[in-house]
Amino acid sequence: MRTSTISVSEEIYRQVREFLFYEAELLDEERFREWLELLTDDVEYLMPVRVTRDRGGGPGFLDDMFHYEENKYRLTKRIERLETGSAWAEDPPSRTRHVISNIRVAPGDRDDEVKVRSYLILYRTRGDDPRYDILSAERKDVLRQVDGEWKLARRVVHLDQATITTHNLSILF
Amino acid sequence: MSKGRDAVADALELLEEASRAFEKGMLLPKLFNHPGIFELEKERIFKHTWIFLAHESEIPRPGDYVVRYIVYDSFIVVRDDEGEIRVLLNTCRHRGMQVCRAEMGNASYFRCPYHGWTYKNNGELVGVPHFKRIYGERFDRSEWPLMAVPRVELHDGLIFVNLDAEAPSLKDYLGGAEWYFDFYTKKSRAGLEVMGAPHRWVVPADWKLGADNFIGDAYHTAFSHESTVKAGILFAENADFHLESPQWVTERAGGGLMQIPPGSYAGYPPSIVESWKQNLSPQQWKLVEELSIIPTHSTLFPNLSFLNAASIPNPEQVVPWLTIRVWRPLEPGKMELWSWFLVEKDAPEEFKRASRQSYVLSFGSSGTFEMDDAENWSSISRMARGELSRDLYLNYQMGLNHLEPIPDWPGPGRVYPIDYTEYAQRQFWKVWFEYMLEDS
Repeated sequence: MRTSTISVSEEIYRQVREFLFYEAELLDEERFREWLELLTDDVEYLMPVRVTRDRGGGPGFLDDMFHYEENKYRLTKRIERLETGSAWAEDPPSRTRHVISNIRVAPGDRDDEVKVRSYLILYRTRGDDPRYDILSAERKDVLRQVDGEWKLARRVVHLDQATITTHNLSILF
Repeated sequence: MSKGRDAVADALELLEEASRAFEKGMLLPKLFNHPGIFELEKERIFKHTWIFLAHESEIPRPGDYVVRYIVYDSFIVVRDDEGEIRVLLNTCRHRGMQVCRAEMGNASYFRCPYHGWTYKNNGELVGVPHFKRIYGERFDRSEWPLMAVPRVELHDGLIFVNLDAEAPSLKDYLGGAEWYFDFYTKKSRAGLEVMGAPHRWVVPADWKLGADNFIGDAYHTAFSHESTVKAGILFAENADFHLESPQWVTERAGGGLMQIPPGSYAGYPPSIVESWKQNLSPQQWKLVEELSIIPTHSTLFPNLSFLNAASIPNPEQVVPWLTIRVWRPLEPGKMELWSWFLVEKDAPEEFKRASRQSYVLSFGSSGTFEMDDAENWSSISRMARGELSRDLYLNYQMGLNHLEPIPDWPGPGRVYPIDYTEYAQRQFWKVWFEYMLEDS
């Protein structure tokens, strides 16, 4: 029997959706300090390396190598870097658009958590170069209630590409 | 005459002019984005030099393989059933299809999807559907194996190949560079291991810009990477930490050393420091112990680079890391970057994890240093297409008529007292011109 992909209340689903949309807004408007406030102190932010395998070999996500393997300290350092006035990779800044869809929410391992899966289309363009990059991914998140607010406790980003076609990952997913 | 031939003829002409200017320390930016130069590089450099493809730890068991590239040629680097490392051209002998299309795995056989020709993991053709009926009894399958690369040699677990059967041995090719590479590869009794698989991403920048930067551009660190040092990510007092450290230059390689706080061993755990000391000669160890400097950035011509440094992945926690990378040419002005993370096999598990986190924060696809480099090199490659910009000679004269090598240096090659100099970069280009002007 196929189970529903949305197994929480309509109200929780609405809150989760709003959280993800708000988060995308913060990232696209470069409000990174506010974005950091959406993270729990023990947040895990991971993007495993993906390799192409034969069918039967699984989706190819490695558990021992990552494009991002961040905790709150390291994410904060990445944001601090942007604020130094000499972070050239993002100065002038990338213009990004995080388009979030296919949001599915399930109860978490703890009473105060939910598991959220969403699709991401990330558009990126820089400078006066008319070219742009588009990256697509599935995000597997854990959101947790902290003092009545939802916070991101864990994110695993599963990129579709094995070889990435943007010149660096100086953007967040 | 085809357009491609025109470009090569044009490249041959401009090479003569460019090499004369280079003798005066001036470089023609056109070399970073020119179709004819790219064609010649494929033939004259990548078919005659030692190219790094994989580390033996990536294929520990019989049948383990990874697929790797030299420009457009695809190779299966495989440990066969007898345990021998083979490097096989990944091209079916019947119609030329790519036989193995996964990036890594374990296989006894490779079967071409087109007509089912099947090769053992040592390259032998063992299966041709209906072969007796369609080719006859006299068809000899042993004449049609996957092509084996003419030369495969290992150095401290690094698997290199050379497409030229007449090339010098890898050891001769490495020359004096081996002395400096030992610091990266000989820290452990058990050797290095690759964790996972390399980061792979495409950068619209010429492959030579990566090689040129890693061989000797310590100077850019202070400005390009100021933000990362300011944010306290790198284990360094200030962004000019390379200035007072030596730069080394050997036949086909070069690199820089960096100062480390005396007695810190760059943050390596005591068990690794112990084996590091035992594996190096007393002359080599003198650098670590007495001079408090270690080799950090380097390039082996043409497109393999190393970087060993230390970052701060958590408050108060200094953790060293090692990366090797290949700048794979894709097109004129475009490369694919392959960045491996390696760690000592016998290091404590906790150290391995922290070292990986330290690396991911600093280098690789999302590395806070690497991201600025990609920005710079992409810009240079784009500018090198302009009618005026591509002919505007670049200054490669730093240190000329100004610096002398250190007279009593304990190692091979020429070693200059400061890393803010361009002797190593000029050596890269000297070797580049030699190969490019060689009509083989």
